[in-house]
Amino acid sequence: MELYEFAWLVPLIPCICFVLAGFIGHKTPQCGGLIAIAGAAAAFVMAALVSYGYYTSDLYKAAEPFVQNMDWLVVGKITIQFGIYIDTLSCIMMLFASFISTLIFIYSLGYMHDQEGRRRRYFAEVSLFLTGMLGLAVSSNYLEMFVFWEIMGLCSYLLIGFWSFNHEEAVEKSSAAKKAFLVTRLGDVCLMCGLFILLYIFGSLDYQNIFGSIEAHKDDVLLPFAILLMFGGVIGKSAQFPLHDWLPDAMAGPTTVSALIHAATMVKAGIYLVARSYPIFTQCEEAMVFVAAIGGFTAIYAASMALNNMNIKRVLAYSTLSQLGYMVLALGAGAYLISLGTKNGDANLIKLGTAGYIAGILHMINHAFFKALLFLGSGSVIHAVGTEDMRMMGGLRKKMPITAYTMLIGCFSIAGIPIFSGFWSKDLVLEAAFAPFHEGLGFGSVFCVLFVLGMITAFMTAFYMFRMWFMTFTGEPRGHCHGESPKTMTFPLLILSVFAILSGLVIMGNFGYYVARSLKTSMPTAGIFVEKGMDVVKEIFTTPATYVALVLAIVGIAIAFFMYSKKAYDPEKFDQDKKPLYYRIVAKRYYFPEMYNQISWKLGYGVAKGVEAIDKQLIDGTVNGLSNAVVGGGDGLARVETGYVRDYAAYVALGVLILMGIFAVIFIYGGGF
Amino acid sequence: MDFPILSILVIVPLVGALLTLFMGGARAPKAKFIAAAFSAVTLVLAVYLLTIKPEDLADLTENYVWFKVSGVVKMNIIFQIDGLSILMVFLTALLVFLVVLFSWHEENNANYYHSLLLAMEVGLMGVYMAADYFLFYIMWEVTLIPMFFLISWYGGPRRHYSAIKFFIYTHVASVIMMIGIFIVVFSAHDGSHAVSFAFADVAANSALSEFMQIFVFGLLFFGFAVKMPVPPFHTWLPDAHVEAPTGGSVLLAGVMLKMGSYGIIRICLNQDIFSLAFGFWQPVMIGLGLFAMVYGAYACIAQNDLKKMVAYSSISHMGMVLVGMGCMSEIGIQFAIFQMFAHGIISGVLFMVCGIAGHNFGTRDMRLLGGMAGKFPVYATFMMFGFMASLGLPGLMGFIAEFGLLYGLWTYLAAHSLEWLIVFGLLDMMLTAGYYLWAMQKTLFGKLTDKIDLEHCHDIAKNEIAVLAVLCGLIALFGIMPSVAMDFITPYSSVLGPALEALL
Repeated sequence: MELYEFAWLVPLIPCICFVLAGFIGHKTPQCGGLIAIAGAAAAFVMAALVSYGYYTSDLYKAAEPFVQNMDWLVVGKITIQFGIYIDTLSCIMMLFASFISTLIFIYSLGYMHDQEGRRRRYFAEVSLFLTGMLGLAVSSNYLEMFVFWEIMGLCSYLLIGFWSFNHEEAVEKSSAAKKAFLVTRLGDVCLMCGLFILLYIFGSLDYQNIFGSIEAHKDDVLLPFAILLMFGGVIGKSAQFPLHDWLPDAMAGPTTVSALIHAATMVKAGIYLVARSYPIFTQCEEAMVFVAAIGGFTAIYAASMALNNMNIKRVLAYSTLSQLGYMVLALGAGAYLISLGTKNGDANLIKLGTAGYIAGILHMINHAFFKALLFLGSGSVIHAVGTEDMRMMGGLRKKMPITAYTMLIGCFSIAGIPIFSGFWSKDLVLEAAFAPFHEGLGFGSVFCVLFVLGMITAFMTAFYMFRMWFMTFTGEPRGHCHGESPKTMTFPLLILSVFAILSGLVIMGNFGYYVARSLKTSMPTAGIFVEKGMDVVKEIFTTPATYVALVLAIVGIAIAFFMYSKKAYDPEKFDQDKKPLYYRIVAKRYYFPEMYNQISWKLGYGVAKGVEAIDKQLIDGTVNGLSNAVVGGGDGLARVETGYVRDYAAYVALGVLILMGIFAVIFIYGGGF
Repeated sequence: MDFPILSILVIVPLVGALLTLFMGGARAPKAKFIAAAFSAVTLVLAVYLLTIKPEDLADLTENYVWFKVSGVVKMNIIFQIDGLSILMVFLTALLVFLVVLFSWHEENNANYYHSLLLAMEVGLMGVYMAADYFLFYIMWEVTLIPMFFLISWYGGPRRHYSAIKFFIYTHVASVIMMIGIFIVVFSAHDGSHAVSFAFADVAANSALSEFMQIFVFGLLFFGFAVKMPVPPFHTWLPDAHVEAPTGGSVLLAGVMLKMGSYGIIRICLNQDIFSLAFGFWQPVMIGLGLFAMVYGAYACIAQNDLKKMVAYSSISHMGMVLVGMGCMSEIGIQFAIFQMFAHGIISGVLFMVCGIAGHNFGTRDMRLLGGMAGKFPVYATFMMFGFMASLGLPGLMGFIAEFGLLYGLWTYLAAHSLEWLIVFGLLDMMLTAGYYLWAMQKTLFGKLTDKIDLEHCHDIAKNEIAVLAVLCGLIALFGIMPSVAMDFITPYSSVLGPALEALL
């Protein structure tokens, strides 16, 4: 037995912990907390063993996935299976998801300490969530992936709504949870329709079968629709424009949940889906322009809303949206390049496209580390000061130094300061966005615009992150503070900050080759080619764009410093009554929530009222009218409400009589006695 | 096979019904033990059926001559069981047993209540196992009467109106259906032998013209569609549900509505009799089914009564069954049967949950409830589980049915270049999630209500927990391992489906 043959254990372990924590959690120490942590840690160890086993196996050398299936569901003549598919992409997903989960579960011991018996529900739900995430990573077909995808959605709903009862803000919390579920559901419904098309075209939803037979079906007229519908699922899950609006509201959940689900793992499921579906997505380059455009637009659009937000968690939520946009941009541009590369047989384009793919994946991992760090840091701050409003914070650096400096590392990382992890991946993302323009391909101008948007986003990111840091940790203390958080909370911060510094450096080594191996696995004929790690680094430092982005980031930090730390320009001016128009629009989130409400209210409740009226007036009215006409007497059906037994006994008798009559007819018709 | 298990499945509840019927007065409180015992025996027998290999089920067929006039007419009692009926038989036995347990504390004329439940079981078993048109029709009518009395004796304030409405609607429908049956039976009669009502005899000799096939299919379809129910013939259902006692609602939604869809598959989709009518009725069925799905879902959104909402959701979900049957393909039939089974179990949970709300909180009005999850966590868990199952959460059995049915619909639409119509299926999925989430938001979450007297509310009783746990366990089991149920269905659907496909 090879190690990787135990991959099914990876999602199963947290699932068992879910059952244990759910049923007997209250009888164990920390209300199931230790069970959940043990499960996540065991899943991480298992994931590491599986990854190691796969990495050292012949399958890896031959660029083949490890697949193990069992029959699950028969749909007519088609059998859909349930199984595992291990390649480097699934290994990466398993590793970072289980690792970060372990840390966040540990952190939760401290953060959720005052929640008493409710922690049982909390730890059961996060364990189920981890099952979903790891299950998604190892799934061997799209339907199985969809199952785990939705299980994560359920957990997201439950955990956002953790305080949706017995809490003073229960109404807002439960509304946020509902919104998250419904908005992502819209994406999921699209995804499901995409799967119908895939199943219809390929007669299978198996990754291996689809990727293997893509050549034969690449001209199917329905394929572009399938791609766009699947991307609809990505838009919902990874909160891209225009289905982004649930994510900021999802901050109603505990901060640990925001860190785990709405920053580090679940929202990456959409990114994973794009990366996993590269063989399909690269069949339609126009759709990939759309994908990249959605990503690029979301990046700047979300960043703009973070600029003036006063809620520390919301700033981070917008920042998550924006960074997810980067990932989608990189993956979209990469797929576009590969698509044209395979069509024209241009090895250079394929190389650039692969670089885009690697950029997207690397940014996904780096973001998981630094954003989990930032969220947990903000959780530590909220834990200490009891508010999420940054205006109530300030000067916390002295009181909670570990939180302050680990968060500073996170800020440097996301702002893209060299050496820190975000620098490497963001630069690769921007390079990938620039490449189609640089190579003079069709839609080059679109990509040029996206590149510029990405640059501006980099500037904004640096500004709003440091605005947050300065407002929170420098200046005069403006409220009460309990002091530094307990060790269970600072320990994960320290670990994560190490990763936030170092995780980008993997690009110097074999990382790119390792990631691209999954592309080679799924697209063996495309001629995937990867540059050596050090060459990539050399390129980063020789491209002018790198320095432009760096300068923009430093300018952003400087402005934040002068505005919020030095108070050279008083930001309070924005808060006067005469706010600039743009400020108001942004504060209203571009009126998107209102629009959603209006649309869902009109299309949902408005039509429903109409249906109700038809039901009552038209249909029941007709029926009652008819019965009046038949029974006579003027009040027909209404009369039976008086409830005289003889009335309905009469109806029963009438029925029997009719029956007898028909009996008679049969016999006469049939020849009689 | 020597042991007449199928007739015993009908006789056991019949004996139970008669015994409990005469346990009036002081003995009435003991009636529940009799009812539990007899329904348990039926359930054991039904479970035994599940252990028989699908290919051996035909050996169980029992054929008795009821009465005959030599050379003129022959009425038979023929019971048979196959992949279409076996899960329905199991479902009936299961739900009746669980309803008896669930209504353990029913004290108002308990003997009649249990007698009616068992009488329902007799009729339902008969419908699902009959292989003779006349027997089928008799049994169909037998189910009607106990349900009528369950509503009008044990129901809510408007129970008489609802009971009569239920009775008239379904009775008119069954009379029209009967006319259809007679035309089918007598058209197969050429005078050379006795009129036989047996399914097999009629199928072998049927000779309807194309016009008559379309017409008679329509008569039968109307009869079944009212039962399912399909809008615009559905308004009896919400009223009946709102007034019916919980046990009655569970059986009504869980197994009685399935009689309609069962009848369509068993009698309308008979390729020996109606082969020329399918082309005409297929688009009608799919169109009506899509309409029912969306219409039902929209109607749910407008409801304030929890139980009425669940009743409309049944219309929506049965619309999906109609779509599946309308596809007249292997996938469509397979998942229509699966959805019938799934909806039977899931709606059991839903109606029990609604019943508990009415009983324990004193109201089912969502406007008066709120924040119940904090006070009644066990209740909230079951409600959420049921709602999630019904809205098609993967991992639970509702999803399997929904996925398969919509994929079946997609294959039909793609073959007819009507792809855009899938939008209605997707809209239904959205709306379903919408009304369930909204209902949970209003009842379970938010601020704890101050509009009802919470002092007298109590959480769910032990017998209710046990019953709900069994149903929820099955929902999860069939959701995670659908093949457990599919193995019963596929032997049937893989024969009927391709045969229908070949005709279209």
